[in-house]
Amino acid sequence: MRKKHAHIKFILPGFLFYTCFVVLPIIYVFGLSFVEWSGMGPMKFSGLDNFIKMFTAQNFAPIFFHALGNNVKYLLCVWLIITPIQYLLAYLFFIKIPAHRYLRFMVFMPYVISSTIVSFFATLIFNPIFGFLNKFLEGIGLEQLQGAWFGDPKWAFKLMVMLIIWQGAGSGIMIFYSNFMDISKDVMEACRIDGCTEWQRFTRILIPLSLPSCASIITMSSIWALALFDLPFILGGRNGGVSGSLDFANLVFYRYTFGNALSGRSELGFGAAICVVMFIFMMTVTVIQRKILKKFEYDT
Amino acid sequence: MKLKKLVAMLCTFSMLGMLLAGCGGEEKPKESESSQEESAGGSQEPAGEESQEPEGAEESQEPAGEESGEAAGGDISGTITIWEHAFSFEESLQAVIEGFNKQYPNVTVEYEIRDGDTYNSVLTTAIQSGDGPDLFYTGGTSDAVMGDMVANGAIMDLTNEVDYSLFDESALSRSIMDGKYYSIPWLTMDTRAVYYNIDMFEEHGWKVPTTFSEFEALLATVDEAGIIPVSAVNSYFSMLFAYEPVLSGFDAEYTKGLADYSVKVTDQPARDALQKMVDWADAGYFGDNWLGVVDGNAMLLAFTSGQAAMMISGSWDITTIAENNPDLNFGAFEIPTDDGVAGLVGTPANGFSVNAATQNKEAAIAFANYCASLEGQTIWVQSQGGVSASDEIEASTELAKQISESGQGNIYTSWHNVITNYSTDGSAVLFWEENFEKVFAKDMTVDEFMDGLAELMQ
Repeated sequence: MRKKHAHIKFILPGFLFYTCFVVLPIIYVFGLSFVEWSGMGPMKFSGLDNFIKMFTAQNFAPIFFHALGNNVKYLLCVWLIITPIQYLLAYLFFIKIPAHRYLRFMVFMPYVISSTIVSFFATLIFNPIFGFLNKFLEGIGLEQLQGAWFGDPKWAFKLMVMLIIWQGAGSGIMIFYSNFMDISKDVMEACRIDGCTEWQRFTRILIPLSLPSCASIITMSSIWALALFDLPFILGGRNGGVSGSLDFANLVFYRYTFGNALSGRSELGFGAAICVVMFIFMMTVTVIQRKILKKFEYDT
Repeated sequence: MKLKKLVAMLCTFSMLGMLLAGCGGEEKPKESESSQEESAGGSQEPAGEESQEPEGAEESQEPAGEESGEAAGGDISGTITIWEHAFSFEESLQAVIEGFNKQYPNVTVEYEIRDGDTYNSVLTTAIQSGDGPDLFYTGGTSDAVMGDMVANGAIMDLTNEVDYSLFDESALSRSIMDGKYYSIPWLTMDTRAVYYNIDMFEEHGWKVPTTFSEFEALLATVDEAGIIPVSAVNSYFSMLFAYEPVLSGFDAEYTKGLADYSVKVTDQPARDALQKMVDWADAGYFGDNWLGVVDGNAMLLAFTSGQAAMMISGSWDITTIAENNPDLNFGAFEIPTDDGVAGLVGTPANGFSVNAATQNKEAAIAFANYCASLEGQTIWVQSQGGVSASDEIEASTELAKQISESGQGNIYTSWHNVITNYSTDGSAVLFWEENFEKVFAKDMTVDEFMDGLAELMQ
């Protein structure tokens, strides 16, 4: 009998904490999405108005879908560019390329710098008036190559992805690398004795045995991709840069929920509706991903 | 195992990082762009409403702070908390508190600077939860926040509590709603001006323009000299602060009409002036790649470091420019019309309101009265280094006087404020915020922008 209750006592604190700070707020936000409320006074029930406005209002829907499109575009970058680069670099470190220790340190180092600081330094480099890059190009006589950089829709998104790779690739690389190191030495030894080439070792041993870490990284990166905020906010401003090239769903949420200090009024109900839609979208992406990535799992 | 440990470590590390980054976000630089934008919330109540007399104004009590000097002040005690919305006001607030404490030594005044875009949300949430400050800044009638608070009984009616005799109608335009006063104005004139580098002008023999055509010709001349004529930033507020003085110089008669809404914000002069700015941007008068400048500080730096000859922004930037480069020899002027008429766009600033649920009403009212006194106002105006909106208070800097004189005594209503006050459902300002930058980025033509705006205006 005592044993029966013991596990409840262990679970209870965490369960209560999780319920209070995660589950209840989510339920509250769902409720809030059906009201019109500035944060003050009584809430006015508005039914599905917030959702209807989000999907149909001429002055809002195109902005929201454009931002969501940027999120998806970035998600594809995560899947097709960022993760493969992380994997490749981890492999290069694993096979101990020259100066691999130093390079590993250098690649991981930017990860400990906050996004705000990274963005600040990026503005110092890419500012078109006094930034280092344009001054450098001018100095070597290549004025024609000077640009607006984050103010140019052709460049803004690409530069942001490059910046994210520079700053954030380290974490994924270390997970992949650690996964490689975790592979049994017996297996590696056996394949060498059997005369495997490096390519065969990579395709037949390393890739299949590192799929679980791929699944973890893709899942985490996808969630982060859909919740992107800080870098585009600092690099492109609260409106998401020129032509909305750096506009993401979270930025749209931010400016429509909290308003602007000069324009005033907050729209917490409408903001909650945006949250609900994003929550459902992220859940859908994660569930589909999970179903696909489940195939990668194996019992270690 | 190693993998699991590493993943766990990385997750912990990143969570810690995010937490720290979150904490860091609270402390923003004292000269952040948003603060400058907010401080410029300078905008007038439509003339029709300006003329409203406060109910019971004649019965207004003697200000608490002046009843019997320090003796009366000594009777009031306790602690009050004040929220201000930008770090650029911190020093002035400290000076006012210091002056207040001389009269009310037993009152402890605490303040918090809540810088950032979320000021209004945090304020309303705090008031709603009963943890609001005793006094707090709002934009007055220039935005929806004060009205929302009035509607919900969250803000104190100060009509019979504070002595408003120092202020004229114009100064009170942002404090009055339905005939009652809800805030104390500050007599700093929130206006816009063209700042110019005097040394650079003298070196090249450029003259301060006396007509709009001369101003336009000056831009071309500066550009030909290989210098950026005007330092600009691709942000809707900063471009607004440039657009409004350009509009007043482009057509003063039209701009005057905004005061009583006898002209529409989307009429032809407004379109032409905006088109003029787009043409200037295309001609490179804001720099070749100016769309990549998204930070107000970068705009400031381009001017103070001598890379741009001029900068059009708010009068609240005087101190910041001087602090940024103390050696910079700069002056200011208003853009005149072709007839030589110039004016100041803007209104006196808005200040503090009192929380209806304050636990220390006596002290809060005493502080409000001190703010409304000549002494409190003088401290504020002079410590801000701003343009004075009162004949009784002398501006503390030569530049502020220069801006005042350049305005030739004409005061124009802010174009932006008309958008706020005459929108059919309040969404016009959102439309402007979302699309103003698009006009300069060529995602939208001036006519498309103005037509879209017109649909949302009365």
